[in-house]
Amino acid sequence: MSAVPAAPSSRPGSARPDKPPPPPFVLWGSLGLVGLTLVLGWDWEYGIGFSLRDIYDNLGRYNPVLEGVRNLDWSTLASPTVLAGFAETFQMAAIATILGGIVALPLALLNSVTGAPNTFVYVAVKNFNSFIRAIPDLIYAVFFVAAIGRGALPGVLALFFLSIAVIAKLTSDIVDGIDQGPVESARASGASHTQMVKTAVLPQILPGYTSFALYTFEINLRGSAVLGFVGAGGIGEVFNNYYQRGWYDRLVAVVIGFFVVVFIVDRISIAVRKRLL
Amino acid sequence: MARTSTGGMTDAQAQQRSEDIVRPEKPFNRFRWTVTITLLVLFFVTSATVDIELSQLAALPERTLFYLGLMYTPPDVTEAPSAITAMIESLGMAWIGTMIGAVVSFPLAFLAATNLFGKPVVFAARQILNFFRSVPEIVFLILLLPVTGLSPVTVALALGISSIGTLGKLGAEVIEGIEGGPVEAAAAAGGGRLQRIRWAVIPQVIPEIVALWLYRFEINIRNSAVAGAVGAGGIGTLLVRQIGQVREWAAAGTSLAIMVIITLLVDTISGRVRRRIIRGPTRAVDLGANAGEQPEGTGPGAGPKREGPTGSVGGGSFVPV
Amino acid sequence: MITFENASVTYPGGVQALRDVSLELGDGEFVVIVGLSGAGKSTLIRAVNGLVPLTSGTCRVGDQVVDAHDKKAIRALRAEVGMIFQTHNLVKRTTVLNNVLMGRLHRTATWRTLLGAYTKGDVELAMQALERVEIVEKAYVRASNLSGGQQQRVGIARALAQEPKVVLADEPTASLDPPTSHLVMRDLKSICRDLNITMLVNLPFLDLARAYGDRIVGLRAGELVYDGPAEEADENVFRDIYGRSLTADDVLEKEGSL
Repeated sequence: MSAVPAAPSSRPGSARPDKPPPPPFVLWGSLGLVGLTLVLGWDWEYGIGFSLRDIYDNLGRYNPVLEGVRNLDWSTLASPTVLAGFAETFQMAAIATILGGIVALPLALLNSVTGAPNTFVYVAVKNFNSFIRAIPDLIYAVFFVAAIGRGALPGVLALFFLSIAVIAKLTSDIVDGIDQGPVESARASGASHTQMVKTAVLPQILPGYTSFALYTFEINLRGSAVLGFVGAGGIGEVFNNYYQRGWYDRLVAVVIGFFVVVFIVDRISIAVRKRLL
Repeated sequence: MARTSTGGMTDAQAQQRSEDIVRPEKPFNRFRWTVTITLLVLFFVTSATVDIELSQLAALPERTLFYLGLMYTPPDVTEAPSAITAMIESLGMAWIGTMIGAVVSFPLAFLAATNLFGKPVVFAARQILNFFRSVPEIVFLILLLPVTGLSPVTVALALGISSIGTLGKLGAEVIEGIEGGPVEAAAAAGGGRLQRIRWAVIPQVIPEIVALWLYRFEINIRNSAVAGAVGAGGIGTLLVRQIGQVREWAAAGTSLAIMVIITLLVDTISGRVRRRIIRGPTRAVDLGANAGEQPEGTGPGAGPKREGPTGSVGGGSFVPV
Repeated sequence: MITFENASVTYPGGVQALRDVSLELGDGEFVVIVGLSGAGKSTLIRAVNGLVPLTSGTCRVGDQVVDAHDKKAIRALRAEVGMIFQTHNLVKRTTVLNNVLMGRLHRTATWRTLLGAYTKGDVELAMQALERVEIVEKAYVRASNLSGGQQQRVGIARALAQEPKVVLADEPTASLDPPTSHLVMRDLKSICRDLNITMLVNLPFLDLARAYGDRIVGLRAGELVYDGPAEEADENVFRDIYGRSLTADDVLEKEGSL
């Protein structure tokens, strides 16, 4: 190993260092990652009992889903209940996105230091948004179904809160990152806080906000699939119905139909959002 | 001869000029009007046709307040221990699901990055990721249930499968944001593709990718409520039972509060860890033996510098497209 | 050691970066390429290790023809040819040693490199390379914590860890201040002399080119317009290479003269 002869050491302190131990953050972080996985994955009181072996064994059993895939019942896609389910999903998603989008815009503005008139409002709105975001749509749905009965309304309300959570979060992040120049010049010209927001902040965030609202429509379409399981309307009621009865030949057909619909909406939405940004 | 305010021109000249240059009219913004009208029409048509009874809507405020009252006046904490146990189960489903998604999405993210692989490979990988992204958790859940049984493990699998799409897509975006220089250097040293990825790409992206996992964990905690739709355990199932089936409103209030508090607590911790991961260790700069060489970023006023290609995950947001 | 025969490169966009260049470099020669930006300096250097494929003509390193399309052969050739970059091209988030070990990628079993299980011999070579550029005490420091000059020395160590016969340097001083530039050039010069490595270096500055090069090659619009010993390259020669009169920006130290 003399291919690279060392130069005479002219600078002091050039001794080879010993290999240092890994940095504490990396060490504890990796241990935490593995530890958490073991604790939460193990089969004991506080773990869910994850076992690849069990899953492998289960794969060998009779599989009604594969059976359903083999005998797909496409005609079910044309049945009135399924069509009505799709229609209702669309209606719920559209109403919730529009109403949620309207409410989310001020919440997003107030969720940022630039957009909020004072620290109190900023902190209050930030916490309010976090609170809304911490409750899953299914829980909103089950609450409103219990409070006002089954149907599309509890579903719309659940998606409404979901929309607020998503749009406010994403939009407030762009409010935080806007160019501060216009804000400063609006203030310098003596504008009030509201005038400043209207002239300096809004024009900068509108394209992003609109794009997030469209994206939320897709999220709502997908989200509506679960709401029917607690009686909150939409295509989820069809899923639940077929699932409960074990009609996998129809269920898988509707799932594929749903996937195609979401896929098409996704493509359209991406095209429109590209135009916006 | 009076001078006008338009510089040194005479009135006649100014008039001449204003005839030449016509002030533009405010242009008609067709795109904006189309969007507005479409939205209005869409809203009214869907509202008019959707199956909602007005009586239901009218009763909404009063009923909501009434049931919130049942939940919290007075609060009933006797069921708190079972809610905490259920929440831990939810955390377990979310975490194991995230780890499944992380392991499967990791290679896919590289295959979906345009700066590493050719068009056909990237296209195929992206289609796979899109598929996992556009199918909701509940669908994976009900398709898995008959095979792996009504258990938290099945929920974790469903959450894991649906995490693959987002993690892979955002991971690919991180990978596409790397500096190309080190990859060229590895190529110039004779490294093959796997070696270039291992030594020039992975070290650049691993902090952001681990931060994405944590971010997805936060989302999966919320998504784990999907278990409640089929009764597969966790806090979602508990709440669906307490609110929707046995109607123990006071106990449900406590469960809801516990869910919100623990969710926000985990968010806070996870958010801090994510920011720390992306920022990297605080620079312990050793000026050492080489006087006259000032390390970049240690001059006056230089704050902690971001090296990452995308810093957005640190703030907990991503731009979905 | 390196031979170009009628080498031309045309980029997909239609830009012709090299036109019919023929050139021969001997063992252990220190050759500096000068020319305006866009004259084809980077292309010439990258043609040697196949990072840029020739569109016509040939390039040989030793007796091996550079063929960028033969993946296996080009990787073997690249292993013999070290390269130093303008922007250092270190992975800033990993340690100095890991960066230098990238120089061993081709010589070590792939599974070893993927796991990071380099042999003792590889680590020893990397350490020796770091000692050669006098930065071994930083071996376990993250590359982001080094100054620009230190990073460039790690870049040189990475090239040396390949045990190369040829080292290519693409404007190695471009992102450094004048004193550090001289340090780096002195390192390159002594490596060339002590280890008998052929050096092909791009330099934007005339004074550095004359101070360190044995031989100067001038490129203008992709064509070879000068090839001669450094001491003969006077102001007129540079004016000829550049196709314009010289300005203060053409030298590293503005007050210094040619």
